[in-house]
Amino acid sequence: MPLMPKSDMPPGALTLLILRVLQSGSLHGYAIAQRIHVLSSEVLAVEEGSLYPALQKMLLKGWVTAEWGISETNRKVRFYRLTVAGRKQLQAEISNYDRVTDAIQAILRTA
Amino acid sequence: MGELFRRLRYLLFHRRFNRELEDEMEFHREMAARHGRRNFGNTLRLREQSREAWGWTWIDRLLQDLRYATRILWRSPGFSLTAVVVLTLGIGVCVLAFSMLNVIVFKLLPVRDPASLVRLQRRSPEIITPDTPYPSFLFYRDHTKTLSAMFAAMGAPAMELDSDLQPVSVNFVTANYFTELGANTAAGRVIDPLRDDAAETPPTAVLSYGLWQRRFHGNASIVGRVIHLNKKAVTVVGVIAKAFPSLHGQDPDVFLPIKQQPYFVEGSTALTDVFSGGGVRMWGRMGPGVTAKMAEQELLELTNELRKQYPKLIWDKEYIRSDPGGHQTVMQPEMYRAFAMIAALVLLIFIVACANLGGLMMARGITREHEIGIRIAIGASRKRIFRQLFTESLLLALIGAFSGLALTYTGLRILSALFPTPDWVSFAPDWRVLLFVVGIAVTAAILFGLAPALQIARQRQRGTIIRQILVGAQIAASCILLILSGLLVHAVLHLLHSDPGFGYEQVIGINPGLDSHGYTPEAARAYVNELKGRLLGLPGVTSVAMSKISLLGNGYTSYMTVDIGGHPVNIYPNWVDPEFFKTMEIPLVRGRNLLPRETHAVIVSESLARKQWPGLEPLGQKFGDQKDLVVGVAGNARIKALNDGDAVEAYWAAQPSDITSTTLLVKTAGAPDGLPPMIKSIVETLDPKLFPYVWLLKSGFRDYTQILENTVLAVSLLGMVAVLMAGVGILGLVAYAVSQRTKEIAIRIALGAKPLHVLSVVLRQFLWPVLIGAIVGAAGTAAVSQLLRKILYGISNLDPAGYAGGIGVLIAIAAAAALLPARRALRVDPVRALHEE
Repeated sequence: MPLMPKSDMPPGALTLLILRVLQSGSLHGYAIAQRIHVLSSEVLAVEEGSLYPALQKMLLKGWVTAEWGISETNRKVRFYRLTVAGRKQLQAEISNYDRVTDAIQAILRTA
Repeated sequence: MGELFRRLRYLLFHRRFNRELEDEMEFHREMAARHGRRNFGNTLRLREQSREAWGWTWIDRLLQDLRYATRILWRSPGFSLTAVVVLTLGIGVCVLAFSMLNVIVFKLLPVRDPASLVRLQRRSPEIITPDTPYPSFLFYRDHTKTLSAMFAAMGAPAMELDSDLQPVSVNFVTANYFTELGANTAAGRVIDPLRDDAAETPPTAVLSYGLWQRRFHGNASIVGRVIHLNKKAVTVVGVIAKAFPSLHGQDPDVFLPIKQQPYFVEGSTALTDVFSGGGVRMWGRMGPGVTAKMAEQELLELTNELRKQYPKLIWDKEYIRSDPGGHQTVMQPEMYRAFAMIAALVLLIFIVACANLGGLMMARGITREHEIGIRIAIGASRKRIFRQLFTESLLLALIGAFSGLALTYTGLRILSALFPTPDWVSFAPDWRVLLFVVGIAVTAAILFGLAPALQIARQRQRGTIIRQILVGAQIAASCILLILSGLLVHAVLHLLHSDPGFGYEQVIGINPGLDSHGYTPEAARAYVNELKGRLLGLPGVTSVAMSKISLLGNGYTSYMTVDIGGHPVNIYPNWVDPEFFKTMEIPLVRGRNLLPRETHAVIVSESLARKQWPGLEPLGQKFGDQKDLVVGVAGNARIKALNDGDAVEAYWAAQPSDITSTTLLVKTAGAPDGLPPMIKSIVETLDPKLFPYVWLLKSGFRDYTQILENTVLAVSLLGMVAVLMAGVGILGLVAYAVSQRTKEIAIRIALGAKPLHVLSVVLRQFLWPVLIGAIVGAAGTAAVSQLLRKILYGISNLDPAGYAGGIGVLIAIAAAAALLPARRALRVDPVRALHEE
């Protein structure tokens, strides 16, 4: 399985992706990683070493909250859910991301 | 705000958060394993990284370091104890100095709104006086607009309470004195403007808490009772609270309304006559938006107004100095030098302590080389090792600082028992002291711990030259401390055992206080002649003399500047009658005695004559600008300044105008102890309104020497601290040097070198640094003692015994301290030493 080296994911992109996959509902940590992996057609793999620090940072910033629930395997596990601040952050990050990619695209097309 | 709140919540519940994170990762790992993936890294590390997001990991690391440091220090109790003792003393001295400064200068007095309080003082470029005439005070009070209120206190001679032997001190205060200060009472009420501000109100008194306890055993029924002060009936209306601060040093025993001053001091014109002797101390309350400078400006204008009314009263360029009054003392420029001196000495001790400990830490680094090496080998970063080592220093410094604080507190308690301290003064450490303690602990840790920690973490040891400079510097600093304290002790001891140059054992002093009772010079002359006759009739009295200055009593100590041959010279003046020299047993070594009421004649002390006219005939020399001529030379008598090596006394014949403020000195053939009550009753029968102050000169002398003895004690303690510091410092450095050369010593011994020879090789490297340090230290002391001489009298210029003694003691300590590690080096087993390498 080809693993995407961490450096290939643009900085800040991980937060954006986590926020995005949480938009449709609350997920636990493993599911977040899985969802990103699957949705990216297995191009992006989130390492645990980046995921959990990122989640802690988002908890600190108040973009997500965590609550305990029961997993599909019937285990007690922590589910992350977007907060109002998180949704705002997601919008901000998406528009910011769009702006940057548009700019890069523009250069790629014309230069 | 939300983020901070979440952060704090994490800190509070970090255990739960960590457990949850752990569970979560455990789940992740299981799930990953189920899907055939196992790239979960180092769990511990991952957990730490995740926790770092909250920003509290430094606390974990710090706690970890502290735990480790405690364990390390616990395991080497000898080192730890030495270090703590050195720091306790080195830091303790600083904390002591700061605590005293805090109480004296920084702490606000426990009065209402201390910030708006100003103390007012009458000054001119030439003259500073604590006292302002009462009528002037009234003028300022009635005309000021910047000050919302003014109040004042007037000192008075001690009074007889009922028929006690021990007189009580009194203060007359304006009726608003207590209300302006917001004073609380322990019983009854305070003097207040509504009831006590008129001469015709019934006489009232407020007792101090101390007197209430001492004399009336804290009995609340004293309120409303009539007591007698100088035989004048007065009703006690209240007792002031224990914590009431006096605004000017010593607390009086009794407060009386100032309007009643003429009732207690019959014949006094102090309240009406601007030229009468006494005066008041003034304070003011600044109105809103007013600064001390603005008040000073306005009072200057008022002073100029006052000059028009009383041209002779107001001096040239007179002004009223206005200082913030909410503190016990305002740092005056004249205090700076003494303060800087003390600060420098204290800092010197602190730096010596840190330097010594630095040496010890270095020495210890060698013995820990092995442990540190292993830690680095298993992957500890140098940064981490450095942090760990510095935490150890910080821990030591904090322990030292807080035990220094405990020592300070104990020391201040002892000091306040030795020297009378007002009840309201609290030495309990406040936030300023605590901040200082922590600050100085961190400073100490940086001073003594930073360099060794860096060196050890880098596993690189210092060069010989630097080490030798360090030894030299330490010796020099210790040398200064040691010789200086030796000089101080010597100076004070010399004073204690030196002959003051006058006989005081059989002399009684009497101050009838004629001037405060409105005596004219003629009336005073008649009174004194009558009294003299009666006293001479008493059994055992051999002579009676007059002296304007109250010798060894509770009078003012003042010097005067006179002009001799165009140079200003400070002298201690007195105005006496011809019997004075016989009564005080001061020999006339040249010339003649003064004649009664003679003008333009002066008798000088031997050392003043020698100082001013070396090798010349002092008789007939001009003295001062009043056309005075020296007619005689008296033996040295350190009457005014027992602590002055040079007795610079000058005596003039008392003039009629001096009689009102005269003191009588009565010399007896035998022991004078039984006479004072008899004398008191004679003085009182002559004029019942007088209440004389009668004292034995020898008890005044004892009071004085008591202070000196306490000073010797304090300075000796300082000297002991210096000795201890020097010993520890040298011990540390020699131990360091020896441990660095263990291998060499082992080889030498293995090759058959004589132990004595090895020892001399090890110690020889310290020979020059010690010698140079001692020389520099001696030179430094000479410089410092020059400065000290300006502040403290009696420190000799060159005291060979003091210097030689100090250096000798230091070298002896150095040798003794060197012996310990050297002996250990000799006992080194060559095989093991070489093997360890």
